[in-house]
Amino acid sequence: MEKFERQANEEALARRAKRKPSPKKNELTVVSMYCKGCGLCVDICPTGTLQLEDNIEGKFGVSVKVDAQEFCIGCKMCEQRCPDFAIFVNYEEEEKDKQ
Amino acid sequence: MSKKREVLQGNIIAAKAAVAAGCNFYAGYPITPSSEVAQYMSAELPKLGYDFIQMEDEIASLGACIGASLSGKKALTATSGPGFSLMQEHLGMAVIAEIPVVIINVMRGGPSTGLPTKPAQADMLQARWGTHGDHPIIALYPAFSDEIYSETIRAFNLSEKFWTPVILMMDEVIAKAHEDIEIPDQKEIAVFNGADHPLDEDLNIYDRQIGEIPPRVDFFKGYPIHIDSLEHDRHGWPTTDPALVDKMQTLRMQKIYSRLDEIIKFKEYRMEDAEIMIFSFGVSARAAIAAVDLARQQGIKAGLFQALTIWPFPERELKERFKRIKKVLTVEMNMGQMKLEVERVATDDVNTRALLRANGVPFTPAEVLQSLKEFVK
Amino acid sequence: MRDYERYIRYRTFPTPWCPGCGDGIVLKTIAMAFADLKLPPDDIIVVSGIGCSGRMPTFFNTNTLHVTHGRALTFATGIKLARPEKTVVVISGDGDATAIGGNHLIHAARRNIGIKMILINNGIYGMTGGQVSPLTPQKFITETTPYGNIEPKFMASELLIAAKASFVARETVLRMHPLRQVIKKSFEHKGFSVVEVISNCHINLGRRNKLKDPITMTKWIASRSVTQAEYDKLTSEEKAHKYPVGILMEDKERLEYSELYYKHIVPAAKEAAAKQSAEGK
Repeated sequence: MEKFERQANEEALARRAKRKPSPKKNELTVVSMYCKGCGLCVDICPTGTLQLEDNIEGKFGVSVKVDAQEFCIGCKMCEQRCPDFAIFVNYEEEEKDKQ
Repeated sequence: MSKKREVLQGNIIAAKAAVAAGCNFYAGYPITPSSEVAQYMSAELPKLGYDFIQMEDEIASLGACIGASLSGKKALTATSGPGFSLMQEHLGMAVIAEIPVVIINVMRGGPSTGLPTKPAQADMLQARWGTHGDHPIIALYPAFSDEIYSETIRAFNLSEKFWTPVILMMDEVIAKAHEDIEIPDQKEIAVFNGADHPLDEDLNIYDRQIGEIPPRVDFFKGYPIHIDSLEHDRHGWPTTDPALVDKMQTLRMQKIYSRLDEIIKFKEYRMEDAEIMIFSFGVSARAAIAAVDLARQQGIKAGLFQALTIWPFPERELKERFKRIKKVLTVEMNMGQMKLEVERVATDDVNTRALLRANGVPFTPAEVLQSLKEFVK
Repeated sequence: MRDYERYIRYRTFPTPWCPGCGDGIVLKTIAMAFADLKLPPDDIIVVSGIGCSGRMPTFFNTNTLHVTHGRALTFATGIKLARPEKTVVVISGDGDATAIGGNHLIHAARRNIGIKMILINNGIYGMTGGQVSPLTPQKFITETTPYGNIEPKFMASELLIAAKASFVARETVLRMHPLRQVIKKSFEHKGFSVVEVISNCHINLGRRNKLKDPITMTKWIASRSVTQAEYDKLTSEEKAHKYPVGILMEDKERLEYSELYYKHIVPAAKEAAAKQSAEGK
């Protein structure tokens, strides 16, 4: 991984360290086929739930990993910001609500 | 059945014919000697609830036409040499995406600003190869006022039927001259409207066999489609797959060249027993046709082959005649363009000559006659 | 399926953009604006020119048209006049819109034709490998300004407002919610609207100017955007490195071109025709 990717991971872990797991359970879905490992979601996640990891199948050798889902507060900033439609928050659950 | 006889300028005849052919969108930019087409359209199209817009340049004009054509309109623009040069990239876009549009190019003295108020016929090869890359094109070129009307109608019908831009060539003389013409009734005019493509989930909008022409596809017909100026596959998605590129290039080329008999058109005058053929078109054909009579009065068996379809070039038809006629004089207002095609097609036993001039002065029948006389000596 | 996914063509995925490129965010935010307005996909057409942003239409599940460099607005003008009831969107990059397409940009604004333009400004020609554009910041290094860009850049919003654009806004790919709102608002606006989206091209512009990854570059973008109020308080020297975000111009009175055409030109022409036939001409 490159320096900026490791730095994004470290900053995420630092943010997570200052928080407790979220009271409400949220579910993250990653579409690894589309993830290009850009790290924007890891950077924007307020609770440091996500990490980048080396992944040889990944399109660019790196991809996102849901590292600590219990910390996710469902703010969807990662989904909003992902340029490649590769991460969704509470996708199935909200589908059920719609039916 | 009363026929309306009127004295009209060539540009106006073309504009009237366009409306009769179903033209309901005009986008253009003023340029001598074609501005009258735009002026007429600006007054007449809105009367029918149709669209007229003057754009900021010729590139924009053809762009707007193509956009409108893809939105279900029959679009027209008119220009002259300098504007025609600016339009070339969009001409190519209409070719690759297979979009009907009619472009009137009223030729004037070139190159560059050249002789804006003088006639010329020197954009002939530009009409064929002006835009980059391999591509087919259809270019028509009337000579007489009734032909301006009929060829404009044909231009729209061919562009709609073959999904292609069609260039209607004119020169400054036939476009600006006020001449009498019999306007046919609308009932008599055959207007071609392509059927709608039966779109389905697969969106096979470009899928077809060689020479087969499917119904056309426009936007807003129920299925969101994709049209691209990139090379594309049968759905319209961009592709660089060599096999698909081969297929699309061939399909586009053969769309035109496998159905030439529906596109090639020419007129013959006293060719039945002719021993020397004049090959000409547009304003030069007017002098040539008179010269044929003059020549015959002096015992020279001349005949005129007047091309109405310039591109694709009437190759087969000329080859047929060269079996019998061994002398051909090309008469054109340039420094030698269509004569190159004539020479390419002529067999070795055919003697080819050309009467050329590129100074803005059309030929007179006497000049053509003189050339015929020298030829047969 | 999310509402906004209805406007996405997954069959053409993945997108060609570099990892972390802002274009993907713009694609998603526009799709969200379509979904917010519940626009039927077949009533929308997205037209684009050439460049990285030019590839965006392929991924919209709407009518899409990818045309020649700089000329998307001309095709869109033809479409909007022909079918005024349709939502006509143009996606254009900074080079496509303000360099080769500059002439069409100012005329579309002057005419106030109802085209919804999204001008993605990443300050570089990305697709062709990182050449300078009219919106590249001065002094920046690019493939064609190896000694630093000496040319002052346009402020696109000022150019457009001077050309009488009736709706001009600017947002960045960092501010996804305001960007979504302003795009939606621009769609609801009747006349010509431009939303300039400051986006990151860390691969071409960033890499040569110490901003080589998406996170660093997006943070740099965030550091330069201020509200109009804050911007007005800056000294001219400070203003050189900042730009106001939000809606910078909104004129609701101006009539839209195709509306003017069908409400004024066509009736006037029909009246003239009636008079002419009455006089038996």
